[in-house]
Amino acid sequence: MTAAMETDRALVDRVAKGDRAAVRLLFMRHHARVYRFVVRQTGSEMMADDIANEVFLELWRQAPSFEGRSEVSTWLLGIARFKALSSLRKKKEDWIDDDDAAQVPDSADTPEVVTMKEDKGAALRRFVDALPEEHRTVIDLAYYHGQSVTEIGEVLGIPVATVKTRMFYARKKLGEALKAAGYDRGWP
Amino acid sequence: MSAAEKMSRRDEMETLLPFYLNGSLEGAELEAVEEWLANDPAALAALGEAEAEFSGTAAANEAIRPPADALSRFARALEAEAGPARAPASPSWLTQALNRFMAVPATVAWAAAAALLALVVVQSFVEPGGKGNDFEIAGAEDELAKLPFALVKFKPEAKMADIAAFLDRNRLKIAGGPTADGVFRIAIPAETGDDYKKLLGLIAAQPFADAVIEGRKPASGG
Repeated sequence: MTAAMETDRALVDRVAKGDRAAVRLLFMRHHARVYRFVVRQTGSEMMADDIANEVFLELWRQAPSFEGRSEVSTWLLGIARFKALSSLRKKKEDWIDDDDAAQVPDSADTPEVVTMKEDKGAALRRFVDALPEEHRTVIDLAYYHGQSVTEIGEVLGIPVATVKTRMFYARKKLGEALKAAGYDRGWP
Repeated sequence: MSAAEKMSRRDEMETLLPFYLNGSLEGAELEAVEEWLANDPAALAALGEAEAEFSGTAAANEAIRPPADALSRFARALEAEAGPARAPASPSWLTQALNRFMAVPATVAWAAAAALLALVVVQSFVEPGGKGNDFEIAGAEDELAKLPFALVKFKPEAKMADIAAFLDRNRLKIAGGPTADGVFRIAIPAETGDDYKKLLGLIAAQPFADAVIEGRKPASGG
Protein backbone atom coordinates (compact mmCIF):
# COMPACT_ATOMS: atom_id res chain seq x y z
CA MET A 1 0.00 0.00 0.00
CA THR A 2 1.36 3.41 -0.88
CA ALA A 3 1.42 6.42 1.40
CA ALA A 4 -1.05 8.19 -0.91
CA MET A 5 -3.55 5.37 -0.52
CA GLU A 6 -3.21 5.48 3.26
CA THR A 7 -3.85 9.18 3.09
CA ASP A 8 -7.00 8.56 1.06
CA ARG A 9 -8.26 6.26 3.76
CA ALA A 10 -7.34 8.70 6.48
CA LEU A 11 -9.33 11.34 4.61
CA VAL A 12 -12.33 9.04 4.38
CA ASP A 13 -12.07 8.53 8.15
CA ARG A 14 -12.18 12.29 8.57
CA VAL A 15 -15.15 12.54 6.21
CA ALA A 16 -16.91 9.92 8.32
CA LYS A 17 -16.56 12.30 11.27
CA GLY A 18 -18.17 15.11 9.29
CA ASP A 19 -14.99 16.83 8.08
CA ARG A 20 -15.99 18.76 4.95
CA ALA A 21 -12.44 19.85 4.19
CA ALA A 22 -11.51 16.17 3.85
CA VAL A 23 -14.23 15.46 1.31
CA ARG A 24 -13.11 18.50 -0.68
CA LEU A 25 -9.55 17.17 -0.66
CA LEU A 26 -10.75 13.81 -1.94
CA PHE A 27 -12.79 15.63 -4.58
CA MET A 28 -9.72 17.53 -5.77
CA ARG A 29 -7.68 14.35 -5.83
CA HIS A 30 -10.10 12.04 -7.63
CA HIS A 31 -12.71 14.13 -9.41
CA ALA A 32 -10.96 14.39 -12.78
CA ARG A 33 -10.53 10.63 -13.10
CA VAL A 34 -14.08 9.91 -11.92
CA TYR A 35 -15.42 12.50 -14.35
CA ARG A 36 -13.44 11.06 -17.26
CA PHE A 37 -14.52 7.54 -16.36
CA VAL A 38 -18.17 8.58 -16.46
CA VAL A 39 -17.75 10.50 -19.71
CA ARG A 40 -16.32 7.34 -21.24
CA GLN A 41 -19.21 5.34 -19.82
CA THR A 42 -22.04 7.62 -20.85
CA GLY A 43 -20.61 9.63 -23.73
CA SER A 44 -22.11 12.72 -22.15
CA GLU A 45 -20.13 15.45 -20.41
CA MET A 46 -23.30 16.93 -18.96
CA MET A 47 -24.37 13.63 -17.48
CA ALA A 48 -20.83 12.97 -16.24
CA ASP A 49 -20.76 16.35 -14.52
CA ASP A 50 -23.89 15.53 -12.52
CA ILE A 51 -22.86 11.95 -11.81
CA ALA A 52 -19.32 12.87 -10.69
CA ASN A 53 -20.81 15.37 -8.23
CA GLU A 54 -23.20 12.70 -6.99
CA VAL A 55 -20.33 10.26 -6.51
CA PHE A 56 -18.67 12.59 -4.02
CA LEU A 57 -21.93 13.34 -2.26
CA GLU A 58 -22.31 9.58 -1.95
CA LEU A 59 -18.82 9.48 -0.49
CA TRP A 60 -19.98 12.02 2.10
CA ARG A 61 -23.00 9.87 2.93
CA GLN A 62 -21.31 6.47 2.91
CA ALA A 63 -17.96 7.32 4.49
CA PRO A 64 -19.02 6.01 7.93
CA SER A 65 -19.68 2.58 6.40
CA PHE A 66 -16.47 2.43 4.33
CA GLU A 67 -14.57 -0.60 5.61
CA GLY A 68 -11.41 -0.12 3.59
CA ARG A 69 -11.63 -3.49 1.85
CA SER A 70 -10.82 -1.80 -1.44
CA GLU A 71 -8.84 1.28 -2.32
CA VAL A 72 -10.74 4.54 -2.16
CA SER A 73 -10.21 5.08 -5.90
CA THR A 74 -11.73 1.66 -6.67
CA TRP A 75 -14.64 2.39 -4.35
CA LEU A 76 -15.32 5.73 -6.07
CA LEU A 77 -15.14 4.17 -9.54
CA GLY A 78 -17.57 1.48 -8.42
CA ILE A 79 -20.03 4.13 -7.24
CA ALA A 80 -19.52 6.03 -10.50
CA ARG A 81 -20.14 2.91 -12.56
CA PHE A 82 -23.36 2.14 -10.69
CA LYS A 83 -24.65 5.69 -11.05
CA ALA A 84 -23.70 5.85 -14.72
CA LEU A 85 -25.57 2.65 -15.49
CA SER A 86 -28.60 3.85 -13.51
CA SER A 87 -28.63 7.14 -15.39
CA LEU A 88 -28.27 5.42 -18.74
CA ARG A 89 -31.19 3.16 -17.95
CA LYS A 90 -33.34 6.15 -17.14
CA LYS A 91 -32.24 8.04 -20.20
CA LYS A 92 -34.44 7.22 -23.18
CA GLU A 93 -32.99 9.58 -25.74
CA ASP A 94 -30.84 8.14 -28.47
CA TRP A 95 -27.94 10.52 -28.06
CA ILE A 96 -25.68 7.59 -27.11
CA ASP A 97 -26.13 6.02 -30.51
CA ASP A 98 -25.41 9.37 -32.10
CA ASP A 99 -22.20 9.69 -30.15
CA ASP A 100 -21.15 6.17 -31.07
CA ALA A 101 -21.82 6.91 -34.70
CA ALA A 102 -19.65 9.98 -34.49
CA GLN A 103 -16.72 7.81 -33.48
CA VAL A 104 -16.91 5.68 -36.63
CA PRO A 105 -14.46 6.89 -39.27
CA ASP A 106 -15.88 8.86 -42.17
CA SER A 107 -17.09 6.27 -44.68
CA ALA A 108 -15.78 8.40 -47.50
CA ASP A 109 -12.27 7.45 -46.47
CA THR A 110 -10.92 3.97 -47.08
CA PRO A 111 -8.82 2.46 -44.27
CA GLU A 112 -5.71 3.29 -46.30
CA VAL A 113 -6.72 6.95 -46.62
CA VAL A 114 -7.55 7.17 -42.93
CA THR A 115 -4.18 5.64 -42.12
CA MET A 116 -2.38 8.14 -44.32
CA LYS A 117 -4.09 10.95 -42.41
CA GLU A 118 -2.97 9.85 -38.97
CA ASP A 119 -0.04 8.19 -37.27
CA LYS A 120 -0.26 4.91 -35.42
CA GLY A 121 -0.81 6.57 -32.03
CA ALA A 122 -3.79 8.53 -33.28
CA ALA A 123 -5.18 5.43 -34.99
CA LEU A 124 -4.82 3.45 -31.81
CA ARG A 125 -6.60 6.12 -29.81
CA ARG A 126 -9.44 6.10 -32.31
CA PHE A 127 -9.67 2.32 -32.20
CA VAL A 128 -9.76 2.34 -28.40
CA ASP A 129 -12.57 4.89 -28.49
CA ALA A 130 -14.48 2.74 -30.97
CA LEU A 131 -14.31 -0.44 -28.89
CA PRO A 132 -17.59 -1.75 -27.48
CA GLU A 133 -18.24 -0.17 -24.09
CA GLU A 134 -17.56 -3.32 -22.05
CA HIS A 135 -14.18 -3.76 -23.74
CA ARG A 136 -13.21 -0.10 -23.68
CA THR A 137 -14.02 0.08 -19.99
CA VAL A 138 -11.55 -2.65 -19.00
CA ILE A 139 -8.93 -0.99 -21.20
CA ASP A 140 -9.59 2.38 -19.51
CA LEU A 141 -9.58 0.88 -16.03
CA ALA A 142 -6.32 -0.97 -16.58
CA TYR A 143 -4.34 1.52 -18.64
CA TYR A 144 -5.64 4.84 -17.34
CA HIS A 145 -6.96 4.12 -13.85
CA GLY A 146 -4.24 1.60 -12.97
CA GLN A 147 -6.69 -0.95 -11.63
CA SER A 148 -5.77 -4.59 -11.10
CA VAL A 149 -7.78 -7.51 -12.46
CA THR A 150 -9.45 -7.93 -9.08
CA GLU A 151 -10.21 -4.22 -8.71
CA ILE A 152 -11.77 -4.07 -12.17
CA GLY A 153 -13.94 -7.01 -11.14
CA GLU A 154 -15.02 -5.01 -8.08
CA VAL A 155 -15.78 -1.86 -10.06
CA LEU A 156 -17.77 -3.68 -12.72
CA GLY A 157 -19.24 -6.35 -10.48
CA ILE A 158 -17.95 -9.20 -12.63
CA PRO A 159 -15.72 -12.22 -11.95
CA VAL A 160 -11.96 -12.02 -12.41
CA ALA A 161 -12.13 -14.54 -15.29
CA THR A 162 -14.60 -12.27 -17.09
CA VAL A 163 -12.26 -9.31 -16.68
CA LYS A 164 -9.50 -11.31 -18.34
CA THR A 165 -11.78 -12.47 -21.13
CA ARG A 166 -12.88 -8.91 -21.84
CA MET A 167 -9.29 -7.72 -21.80
CA PHE A 168 -8.32 -10.51 -24.18
CA TYR A 169 -11.03 -9.60 -26.69
CA ALA A 170 -10.44 -5.88 -26.30
CA ARG A 171 -6.77 -6.25 -27.18
CA LYS A 172 -7.57 -8.75 -29.92
CA LYS A 173 -9.94 -6.26 -31.54
CA LEU A 174 -7.37 -3.51 -31.28
CA GLY A 175 -4.82 -5.77 -32.98
CA GLU A 176 -7.24 -6.61 -35.76
CA ALA A 177 -8.13 -2.96 -36.29
CA LEU A 178 -4.47 -2.02 -36.45
CA LYS A 179 -3.78 -4.83 -38.89
CA ALA A 180 -6.63 -3.63 -41.11
CA ALA A 181 -5.08 -0.17 -41.01
CA GLY A 182 -1.73 -1.52 -42.09
CA TYR A 183 -0.07 -1.89 -38.68
CA ASP A 184 0.51 -5.59 -38.17
CA ARG A 185 1.75 -6.15 -34.65
CA GLY A 186 2.04 -9.93 -34.87
CA TRP A 187 -0.82 -10.75 -32.53
CA PRO A 188 -3.53 -11.95 -32.76
CA MET B 1 -14.10 -24.85 -20.33
CA SER B 2 -14.35 -21.08 -20.30
CA ALA B 3 -12.91 -18.80 -22.94
CA ALA B 4 -10.23 -17.72 -20.48
CA GLU B 5 -9.21 -21.33 -19.90
CA LYS B 6 -8.95 -21.97 -23.61
CA MET B 7 -6.37 -19.25 -24.10
CA SER B 8 -3.00 -20.18 -25.47
CA ARG B 9 0.04 -19.13 -23.49
CA ARG B 10 0.59 -16.20 -25.86
CA ASP B 11 -3.03 -15.14 -25.46
CA GLU B 12 -2.71 -15.36 -21.71
CA MET B 13 0.45 -13.28 -21.66
CA GLU B 14 -1.07 -10.68 -23.99
CA THR B 15 -4.07 -10.50 -21.64
CA LEU B 16 -1.85 -9.90 -18.63
CA LEU B 17 0.44 -7.31 -20.24
CA PRO B 18 -1.79 -4.29 -19.41
CA PHE B 19 -1.68 -5.31 -15.76
CA TYR B 20 2.06 -5.86 -15.94
CA LEU B 21 2.42 -2.33 -17.29
CA ASN B 22 0.20 -0.74 -14.63
CA GLY B 23 2.15 -2.48 -11.89
CA SER B 24 -0.77 -4.41 -10.43
CA LEU B 25 0.39 -7.88 -11.42
CA GLU B 26 1.83 -10.04 -8.67
CA GLY B 27 2.62 -13.60 -7.66
CA ALA B 28 2.66 -16.41 -10.20
CA GLU B 29 1.19 -14.25 -12.97
CA LEU B 30 3.93 -11.66 -12.57
CA GLU B 31 6.59 -14.36 -12.67
CA ALA B 32 5.02 -15.90 -15.77
CA VAL B 33 4.99 -12.59 -17.66
CA GLU B 34 8.57 -11.80 -16.66
CA GLU B 35 9.72 -15.23 -17.75
CA TRP B 36 7.94 -14.79 -21.07
CA LEU B 37 9.48 -11.36 -21.59
CA ALA B 38 12.92 -12.78 -20.83
CA ASN B 39 12.70 -15.82 -23.10
CA ASP B 40 10.38 -15.13 -26.03
CA PRO B 41 11.73 -12.88 -28.79
CA ALA B 42 8.18 -11.82 -29.67
CA ALA B 43 7.45 -10.72 -26.12
CA LEU B 44 9.34 -7.43 -26.18
CA ALA B 45 7.56 -6.37 -29.36
CA ALA B 46 4.27 -7.27 -27.69
CA LEU B 47 5.23 -5.17 -24.69
CA GLY B 48 5.92 -2.26 -27.02
CA GLU B 49 2.46 -2.64 -28.54
CA ALA B 50 0.87 -2.68 -25.09
CA GLU B 51 2.83 0.46 -24.19
CA ALA B 52 1.42 2.16 -27.27
CA GLU B 53 -2.09 1.18 -26.16
CA PHE B 54 -1.27 2.50 -22.71
CA SER B 55 -0.25 5.88 -24.17
CA GLY B 56 -3.21 6.02 -26.51
CA THR B 57 -5.69 5.25 -23.75
CA ALA B 58 -4.10 7.80 -21.42
CA ALA B 59 -4.24 10.44 -24.18
CA ALA B 60 -7.89 9.65 -24.92
CA ASN B 61 -8.78 10.09 -21.25
CA GLU B 62 -6.64 13.15 -20.64
CA ALA B 63 -8.31 14.85 -23.61
CA ILE B 64 -11.49 14.98 -21.54
CA ARG B 65 -11.40 18.20 -19.52
CA PRO B 66 -13.45 18.39 -16.34
CA PRO B 67 -15.38 21.66 -15.85
CA ALA B 68 -13.27 24.34 -14.22
CA ASP B 69 -15.94 25.22 -11.66
CA ALA B 70 -16.61 21.64 -10.58
CA LEU B 71 -15.24 22.09 -7.06
CA SER B 72 -17.23 25.23 -6.29
CA ARG B 73 -20.43 23.62 -7.53
CA PHE B 74 -19.70 20.53 -5.48
CA ALA B 75 -19.13 22.69 -2.40
CA ARG B 76 -22.56 24.24 -2.89
CA ALA B 77 -24.14 20.81 -3.36
CA LEU B 78 -22.43 19.59 -0.20
CA GLU B 79 -23.74 22.56 1.72
CA ALA B 80 -27.24 21.85 0.45
CA GLU B 81 -26.83 18.23 1.49
CA ALA B 82 -25.25 18.73 4.88
CA GLY B 83 -26.34 22.22 5.83
CA PRO B 84 -24.15 25.29 6.29
CA ALA B 85 -20.76 24.56 7.72
CA ARG B 86 -20.53 25.43 11.38
CA ALA B 87 -18.14 28.30 11.88
CA PRO B 88 -15.27 27.27 14.08
CA ALA B 89 -15.35 28.79 17.55
CA SER B 90 -13.70 32.12 17.13
CA PRO B 91 -11.42 33.08 19.98
CA SER B 92 -11.26 36.73 20.85
CA TRP B 93 -8.63 38.76 19.08
CA LEU B 94 -6.80 39.09 22.38
CA THR B 95 -6.64 35.32 22.82
CA GLN B 96 -5.38 34.95 19.27
CA ALA B 97 -2.72 37.55 19.90
CA LEU B 98 -1.66 35.95 23.16
CA ASN B 99 -1.62 32.52 21.55
CA ARG B 100 0.85 33.86 19.05
CA PHE B 101 2.97 35.11 21.89
CA MET B 102 2.81 31.70 23.52
CA ALA B 103 4.21 30.16 20.36
CA VAL B 104 7.49 32.04 20.62
CA PRO B 105 10.18 31.43 23.25
CA ALA B 106 8.86 32.13 26.72
CA THR B 107 11.10 35.01 27.59
CA VAL B 108 10.25 36.79 24.37
CA ALA B 109 6.53 36.01 24.66
CA TRP B 110 6.03 37.25 28.18
CA ALA B 111 8.01 40.41 27.54
CA ALA B 112 5.99 41.12 24.41
CA ALA B 113 2.77 40.56 26.33
CA ALA B 114 3.55 43.62 28.40
CA ALA B 115 3.27 45.85 25.37
CA LEU B 116 0.03 44.19 24.33
CA LEU B 117 -1.57 44.60 27.73
CA ALA B 118 -0.52 48.21 27.94
CA LEU B 119 -2.26 48.79 24.64
CA VAL B 120 -5.37 47.00 25.86
CA VAL B 121 -5.66 49.12 28.95
CA VAL B 122 -5.26 52.38 27.05
CA GLN B 123 -7.88 51.41 24.51
CA SER B 124 -10.47 50.49 27.17
CA PHE B 125 -11.05 47.25 25.37
CA VAL B 126 -14.59 46.23 24.56
CA GLU B 127 -15.06 43.58 21.91
CA PRO B 128 -17.97 44.60 19.64
CA GLY B 129 -20.69 42.01 19.65
CA GLY B 130 -18.39 39.50 21.23
CA LYS B 131 -19.93 36.51 22.95
CA GLY B 132 -18.27 34.11 25.29
CA ASN B 133 -14.99 35.98 25.53
CA ASP B 134 -12.29 33.91 27.05
CA PHE B 135 -11.66 36.54 29.66
CA GLU B 136 -12.07 40.22 30.13
CA ILE B 137 -9.55 42.96 30.33
CA ALA B 138 -10.32 45.73 32.76
CA GLY B 139 -11.39 48.77 30.85
CA ALA B 140 -10.30 52.04 32.41
CA GLU B 141 -7.31 52.81 34.53
CA ASP B 142 -9.41 54.45 37.27
CA GLU B 143 -11.58 51.34 37.47
CA LEU B 144 -8.51 49.15 37.73
CA ALA B 145 -7.18 51.28 40.50
CA LYS B 146 -10.19 50.52 42.69
CA LEU B 147 -10.03 46.73 42.42
CA PRO B 148 -8.25 44.37 44.80
CA PHE B 149 -5.49 42.54 43.01
CA ALA B 150 -2.84 39.85 43.26
CA LEU B 151 0.46 39.48 41.48
CA VAL B 152 0.70 36.26 39.51
CA LYS B 153 3.50 34.70 37.50
CA PHE B 154 2.55 32.01 34.99
CA LYS B 155 4.76 29.12 34.04
CA PRO B 156 6.46 29.59 30.66
CA GLU B 157 4.88 26.39 29.36
CA ALA B 158 1.40 27.49 30.44
CA LYS B 159 -1.31 27.16 27.80
CA MET B 160 -3.20 30.31 26.97
CA ALA B 161 -6.46 28.42 26.58
CA ASP B 162 -6.19 27.05 30.13
CA ILE B 163 -5.45 30.47 31.58
CA ALA B 164 -8.23 32.13 29.59
CA ALA B 165 -10.80 29.54 30.63
CA PHE B 166 -9.79 29.81 34.27
CA LEU B 167 -9.93 33.61 34.35
CA ASP B 168 -13.28 33.62 32.57
CA ARG B 169 -14.73 31.00 34.89
CA ASN B 170 -13.78 32.96 37.99
CA ARG B 171 -14.50 36.47 36.68
CA LEU B 172 -10.85 37.43 37.02
CA LYS B 173 -9.23 40.15 34.96
CA ILE B 174 -5.71 40.91 33.86
CA ALA B 175 -5.18 44.42 35.14
CA GLY B 176 -1.58 44.93 34.11
CA GLY B 177 1.86 43.54 33.56
CA PRO B 178 3.88 41.66 33.01
CA THR B 179 6.87 43.14 34.74
CA ALA B 180 10.38 42.36 33.60
CA ASP B 181 10.10 39.23 35.75
CA GLY B 182 6.90 38.13 33.99
CA VAL B 183 4.54 39.05 36.82
CA PHE B 184 0.94 39.94 35.93
CA ARG B 185 -1.45 42.01 38.01
CA ILE B 186 -4.75 40.14 38.28
CA ALA B 187 -7.82 42.05 39.46
CA ILE B 188 -9.70 40.05 42.10
CA PRO B 189 -13.48 40.69 42.33
CA ALA B 190 -13.64 39.85 46.04
CA GLU B 191 -15.90 41.66 48.47
CA THR B 192 -14.30 40.28 51.63
CA GLY B 193 -10.90 39.20 52.79
CA ASP B 194 -12.05 35.60 52.97
CA ASP B 195 -13.19 35.69 49.36
CA TYR B 196 -9.88 37.24 48.40
CA LYS B 197 -7.91 34.49 50.13
CA LYS B 198 -10.04 31.78 48.58
CA LEU B 199 -9.45 33.16 45.10
CA LEU B 200 -5.72 33.45 45.69
CA GLY B 201 -5.65 29.88 46.88
CA LEU B 202 -7.55 28.83 43.82
CA ILE B 203 -5.08 30.63 41.51
CA ALA B 204 -2.12 29.13 43.34
CA ALA B 205 -3.57 25.64 42.93
CA GLN B 206 -3.65 25.91 39.15
CA PRO B 207 -0.96 23.93 37.30
CA PHE B 208 -0.10 26.95 35.15
CA ALA B 209 0.54 29.24 38.16
CA ASP B 210 4.19 29.62 39.02
CA ALA B 211 3.83 32.10 41.91
CA VAL B 212 1.00 34.09 43.54
CA ILE B 213 1.70 37.13 45.69
CA GLU B 214 -0.85 39.03 47.71
CA GLY B 215 -1.52 42.54 46.53
CA ARG B 216 -4.21 44.94 47.68
CA LYS B 217 -7.01 43.22 49.63
CA PRO B 218 -10.66 44.26 49.76
CA ALA B 219 -11.43 47.31 51.83
CA SER B 220 -13.47 45.15 54.23
CA GLY B 221 -10.22 43.56 55.33
CA GLY B 222 -9.78 39.96 56.35
